[in-house]
Amino acid sequence: MTRERGALGNHAPVFVRHAWIAPLVFFSIFLLYPLLVLIRTAISADTLTALVNSGPWSIALLSTGQSLASVGLSLIIGIPIAGVLARYQFKGRALVLALMTVPFVLPTVVVALAFKSILGELLAPGLILVILAHAYINVAVVVRIVGAQWSALDPRHINVAQTLGANPFRVFRTLTLPNLKASILSSACIVFVFSFTSLGVVVILGDGSSTRTLEQSILRQTSVLLDFPGALASALIQLVIVTGALILAAKMRGATITLTHTHRTKVRGMRRSAWVYSIVILSALIVLTPLAGLVIGSFTSTQGMNFSSWVGVINAQDRFAGLGSPRAAVALTISLALITALIASAIGGLAAIAVMGRRTFIAAIALIPLGLSAATIGLGTLLAFGRPPIDLRSSGFLIPIAHALVAIPLVVAVASPALRTADSRRFFVASSLGASPARAWWTAYGTLLRTVMIAAGGLAGAVSLGEFGAASFLARADSPTVPVQIAKLLARPGDQAYTTAAVLSTILVVMTLALMLFIDRFSAQGRITVS
Amino acid sequence: MTDSGLSTSNLVIGYSDSQPLHEPFNFRVTPGETLAILGPSGCGKSTLLATIAGITPVLSGDIFLNGARVNELPIHKRNIGLVFQDPLLFPHLSLIDNIAYGLRAHKVSRDRARVRATELLEWVGLAHVRNNRTWELSGGQAGRVALARAVAPKPEVLLFDEPFSALDSTTRIRLATEIAGLVRSQEIPAIHVTHDEQEAELVATQMMRM
Amino acid sequence: MARTFLSSTFVIIGIGSVLLTGCSSDVTSEAPRQPSEQRSVVRLLTHESFALSETLIQSLEEQGIILEIQTAGDAGTMTSSAVLAAGAPTADLIFGVDNTLVSRAASEGVFAEYTSPELDKVLPEFQDQTSGGLVTPIDFGDVCINVDNSWFAEQGEQPPTSLEALPQFAKRLVVEDPATSSPGLAFVLATIARFGDSWTDYWTQLRDNGVSVAGSWTDAYYTQFTLSGGDRPLVVSYATSPAAEVLFAEDTTVTEPSTSSMTDSCYRQIEFAGVLAGASNPIGAQQVIDWLLSPDVQADIPVSMFVYPVRSDATLPQAFADFTPVVESSALLESDQVAKQLPEILRRWSEVMGR
Repeated sequence: MTRERGALGNHAPVFVRHAWIAPLVFFSIFLLYPLLVLIRTAISADTLTALVNSGPWSIALLSTGQSLASVGLSLIIGIPIAGVLARYQFKGRALVLALMTVPFVLPTVVVALAFKSILGELLAPGLILVILAHAYINVAVVVRIVGAQWSALDPRHINVAQTLGANPFRVFRTLTLPNLKASILSSACIVFVFSFTSLGVVVILGDGSSTRTLEQSILRQTSVLLDFPGALASALIQLVIVTGALILAAKMRGATITLTHTHRTKVRGMRRSAWVYSIVILSALIVLTPLAGLVIGSFTSTQGMNFSSWVGVINAQDRFAGLGSPRAAVALTISLALITALIASAIGGLAAIAVMGRRTFIAAIALIPLGLSAATIGLGTLLAFGRPPIDLRSSGFLIPIAHALVAIPLVVAVASPALRTADSRRFFVASSLGASPARAWWTAYGTLLRTVMIAAGGLAGAVSLGEFGAASFLARADSPTVPVQIAKLLARPGDQAYTTAAVLSTILVVMTLALMLFIDRFSAQGRITVS
Repeated sequence: MTDSGLSTSNLVIGYSDSQPLHEPFNFRVTPGETLAILGPSGCGKSTLLATIAGITPVLSGDIFLNGARVNELPIHKRNIGLVFQDPLLFPHLSLIDNIAYGLRAHKVSRDRARVRATELLEWVGLAHVRNNRTWELSGGQAGRVALARAVAPKPEVLLFDEPFSALDSTTRIRLATEIAGLVRSQEIPAIHVTHDEQEAELVATQMMRM
Repeated sequence: MARTFLSSTFVIIGIGSVLLTGCSSDVTSEAPRQPSEQRSVVRLLTHESFALSETLIQSLEEQGIILEIQTAGDAGTMTSSAVLAAGAPTADLIFGVDNTLVSRAASEGVFAEYTSPELDKVLPEFQDQTSGGLVTPIDFGDVCINVDNSWFAEQGEQPPTSLEALPQFAKRLVVEDPATSSPGLAFVLATIARFGDSWTDYWTQLRDNGVSVAGSWTDAYYTQFTLSGGDRPLVVSYATSPAAEVLFAEDTTVTEPSTSSMTDSCYRQIEFAGVLAGASNPIGAQQVIDWLLSPDVQADIPVSMFVYPVRSDATLPQAFADFTPVVESSALLESDQVAKQLPEILRRWSEVMGR
């Protein structure tokens, strides 16, 4: 019940005490070194001028407002859904949970276009549309992180509060909400960072003035103006603000809560089931409406509904020169997701273990990629490892590494709080029974670790499935990933290109759903083993 | 005042998708009385309390509280004090705010609720640990805070679900005696579920075996 | 139990991906490896829209050159990465630098000198576009206003035919933000080429009459253009988009595009290739540049990349010849002028448009 129950101090086995080494080496080589190369190449006296210029700072201020609004809306939509999914057991629960993750995983170009085709006629491009899209994409973060903590709350606490006279709203305000503080802050923080560094959404759904982000300036500075000192200044400001937000959130996180095994009630009673199912159906509708347009688009051509695009993709007809076969892209994307999941859960897991042993600086380093754009990571990796003396480009190794860098912050965010819930007394019980430190550690944490790593690794795999920015830098032109293919198709005229992109996006949706259902199935099994 | 206290009439408990857990219940507990319920685990004792508290819906039959039928009354309007085996203190609140929780829910001002909570903390003999966090208390201390919290809003019924059964027998007996005294002096009807004969005999004015 | 489940699932996924790759390998059908005396690997840095037919790349392999294609984002980002790596490049040659950025890249020391013997086969107007012997023009295209003719026919309206007439149609027009879209920038340059210093007045008129600004070409063409179900029948796109509409129609009976380019509004984009300074295989890079100018590759360029070949004797596919003949009157500004004024142009455009 104390806050420190994860810490074993000097009792911890050797590999746990040295768990920080591997992540540190990994981050030094693949994150810090490329960043230094990039900074060394781009920096000049103009960087300083750009840093003191009011321009990037006013953009930072503007997008802070936008991000806070996005966070607010994500929480308002996400918390009730998290509650229903965490509290109740009903048919289709796993499917709804998997569905919620889809918008988060799909390439933002696809989501933004789908979104625009639904709401474009009601709302002009601008702040409101951008905030809605950010909420749509990031609700999954809230549902996953808050839901995990919510399902660990003991429902009897709520019964006690109710018998003391607290109505449901009061129970939520005075009991549930304060006990979800840590996870709400964590998820709010991540949503803030994603909205603050948003690119695809603000380019397609923004108005170019009230919705500007630093990421958009970086794109303009690197891709149109070739103004590297300015781009570096924007990137540094972004990094500082994102890191600041992460540190602030870590400081605000209060006491840990009493955790028990997961308990979900079956939905009973008319009023309650009406309430639960209306939230479930509403949230499923919110997720599905833009996606439905995508699926219908994949079956539609000028001749009406048909399967011609699907047949084309399945037969791998090379109708577009230089695009690569869609089937090869699907295979490549799946293998990349698997490798990314392995790397990210190994490094992220070790980082989480290191954090548990008070090596919190590892967590701080692990979070740096959140503040960097995919383009920055891609460009840095390219300059550091894409030319002699170290040329790893043709090894095909750089994409999963870049994807792992993007995914590791999420792995640490999921794994670190979960590992804290393990009871260290089990370690001492096992030790007293004669187990070696390593064996005792595995007895105390092994099952939990395995469950958590499957969930976190699955999330990392999902990130890799939909990742576009870094892949467009590092993929070989003749073997693109599915998101890169989608982006290429959407940059061409002709309705064949558009429907083929819709087919590939639908395939991506299905792959994401399958992966998420698999994770849920597996972590559910793990839970049974725990209790 | 023949209606005062808690009574049941042909009350059937259980879950809608399964068989009733027990024969219909017909009992009355008058103010100051304690009904002790004895029985092995799994026989439906806890479900009975949960049904009276409103956590589990009634299958059939009625529950009356001071003459009024409360079958459909939501939990928070029944004014019931419930103490589980685990103290279930709210970890994010101080001890005083734990005890004051029910008073605040009944619209008592913050200051008055805290004064009353401090008195109750003294009453359970824990004034010396008032600044501790919930997880810094011993099992017995936490149980006493849970009791003070349940009593604070002056409930019309007290329900004990194997209270403090995780504690050592000396502490448990002492707490049971204190509870029995409280029930008599405050004239509150109480139901006390336990699997311990000695504890049941200590608190009971009527006894029921399930 | 849990472990068995996990491992069996991984096995299934593994088999799945092997099957998928296995199946696809017979589609991409590797050419029989020709025994060759000196095979050399040449690394080509290009943008994500680069595409050429598979057979051409195979025939290059038969000449002893294995082409390793690297993409680095869009044309601008690709140029950025080349400038950042100038002198110690990640590849041997670069293809796809356009005329707005080429002089800037040249002045940063990105390119090594090379003049292809094929250069004299190139259309005369492109022969001196080499930034002083550093780069070679490979293809060109035009950014023009595309008109949805069937929409105008249904409404019984006449579409505009000149830049001057366009402001009256501003509420029917969608353009792209020049800060995030390359056709968007080209159209701004077209207005500068036509109206000189008063170009901002022109944009003020467009704004006041309700022009729509999209963040990207994809958004403009696929969600706002009437052809794709939007409500704007005029869009800034490519001169070849009408031909693509026919070539890549789902409906194979489509023989004629319903859109056309407004030739008065076009701005020329030229794409260059260059040997990268400090390349480890400069000879191979030079051979690839010659290959890019060869008749076969030049003939493939329109179908694969929707742009026109620079070679004077290259033949255009029928759809191009029929619906999108080369625009004679495209505007073109001096590359080093554009490079110098670009920040100022974007700043003033933002000021006018409030973006």
